[in-house]
Amino acid sequence: MTVTDETTRTRQTAPAPPTPAVPRPTPPDAPPDRDRDRDRPRLSEVLGTVWQATVCLVVVGFALSQVVPDFVHRVGVPAFQAWGTVLAAVVIQGVPFLLLGTLVSAAIGALVPDRILTRLLPRNPVLAVPVAGAAGAILPGCECASVPVAASLIRRGVAPAAALSFLLSAPAVNPVVLVATSIAFPGRPEMVLARLLASLATSVTMGWLWLRLGRPEWLKLPTRTGPADPGGSRTAAFTRALQHDFLHAGGFLVLGAAAAATFNILVPPPLLETFAGSPWLSVLLLAGLAVLLSICSEADAFVAASFSGFSPTARLAFMVVGPMVDLKLIALQAGTFGRAFAARFSAVTFATAVLVSGLVGGILL
Amino acid sequence: MRRFAPAALLVLTGSALLRVSLLSDLYLRYVKAGLRPLVIASGVLLIALGVIAVIRDRRRPPTAPERHGPDEHDDHGHSHSPAGPRTAWLLAAPAVMLLLFAPPALGSYTVARDGSGAVAKRTVFPPLPAQDPLVLTLTDYGSRAVWDDKGSLKGRTVRLTGFVTPVDATTWHLSRLIVTCCAADAKVVTVLIHGVPAPSTDSWVTVTGTWHQDTAGPALDATGLTSIATPKDQYQDTVQP
Repeated sequence: MTVTDETTRTRQTAPAPPTPAVPRPTPPDAPPDRDRDRDRPRLSEVLGTVWQATVCLVVVGFALSQVVPDFVHRVGVPAFQAWGTVLAAVVIQGVPFLLLGTLVSAAIGALVPDRILTRLLPRNPVLAVPVAGAAGAILPGCECASVPVAASLIRRGVAPAAALSFLLSAPAVNPVVLVATSIAFPGRPEMVLARLLASLATSVTMGWLWLRLGRPEWLKLPTRTGPADPGGSRTAAFTRALQHDFLHAGGFLVLGAAAAATFNILVPPPLLETFAGSPWLSVLLLAGLAVLLSICSEADAFVAASFSGFSPTARLAFMVVGPMVDLKLIALQAGTFGRAFAARFSAVTFATAVLVSGLVGGILL
Repeated sequence: MRRFAPAALLVLTGSALLRVSLLSDLYLRYVKAGLRPLVIASGVLLIALGVIAVIRDRRRPPTAPERHGPDEHDDHGHSHSPAGPRTAWLLAAPAVMLLLFAPPALGSYTVARDGSGAVAKRTVFPPLPAQDPLVLTLTDYGSRAVWDDKGSLKGRTVRLTGFVTPVDATTWHLSRLIVTCCAADAKVVTVLIHGVPAPSTDSWVTVTGTWHQDTAGPALDATGLTSIATPKDQYQDTVQP
């Protein structure tokens, strides 16, 4: 029934076959009505969609209520509940920040003129990278917010290297995160300093690496029509961008959250403690764990502090890698910039972040 | 994606957020209390966006190009049908889950899996008040039991509150989960209880007893046990439940 209707809508020029499932009070003069339909869809069409959605929800809900409990009982109720709780937690935590990010990015897209953005950053991309990296300190929030903002910066003509440097540094060096870090490591200000320096160094290095090695064809951004959209006004362009960006990134947030919840349930913590002895292995292990657990950058310091068996450098790596590379972010980046980009960028960022944490940790901690 | 589907998804996600934050306290199972205003604002904004989308699309000719022309498809790593991205459907899963069967707060399952039993190192121990019984948080009790060389817990009767995680036939863990941002970062604190049989798993209790000196970790010889109601915010370590 859904399939039939889909074809009806996409092939508007073909004579519409009758849709038996949706009762519509259509008058017999179908052709002129269809023409009018092209300009202004009838209320019945909206009601039809609502009706279909309700039927689908009831049918799917009934099917799920028959199948799911049995499946859940076989795998183990507490494990499933914990999985659902962690998934819901990451999504509820992420959605407000994702919305904030899409709001800022839609505002940049619809309201800020190109001139201002390009004037704020140095013309030379080599200099623009560190400036953009340091500018990450002004976007308070976690990593969900920075992906849409970086995408809109690139779309508005900011050098990709600078925007990517901003993307990496924003969730790691903003004041909220640094204060959280100082609370998580009381009496150890060197940890905050190490986190700030290592995160900045990694994001600037990645920006410069992109200047040297990056290829434009890896970055696949959705092309945007500006305020001159057929939709009309600036406000229309703004709400349209907001809807699209949120829906799109939201789907990937759920994907990342599901992956993180799965690892949260699967990784047995006692296994981790056995690796704590070896210095390099422990750095790699905690860095890898940061990728799998996908903890919000405002909270990861407290988790890092709880890994009491690990060296300070390993815990620093956890806090430097987490906001830059994790499952949720890889999914968001793949959705925003394309899979080719996300795979390369995340892998190189991971390596850079681990090396820089090792260096900074070796000197400061 | 169907024409009105993006609007439906926005409204669905928004309603799920409002259901757990505005219409109930369910959000406390997932995130910190401080996030509530942001969750409510997000829910309202999403519903508003959905309503705007319906109004706009009702005025808009369905065949007019939306944001992506036909030539631009698949140029950025994902496929779009005219009205919106397909991955967005994933948002429906947690939304329906929260609307129909919101999963419970994390509890003994998460505690039992943790099993590391590590107690964060602490060096400063302010003198304890003279109250009797002495009411302590699990974190305070645990760090004093493990790290305080002067033995400030010696000879004191203490009262601790938490939920029950069974260990074996004779002992069980009085436990708490401490959350900083959301349930994904829950940290486990436990005290091993000797002397009273384990109440039902995941129930909240207040235990009175004396310090059980044990090199393996914080432990307590219990003398009294009272069941209490499950607190609203389960992810804190406070002296009061």
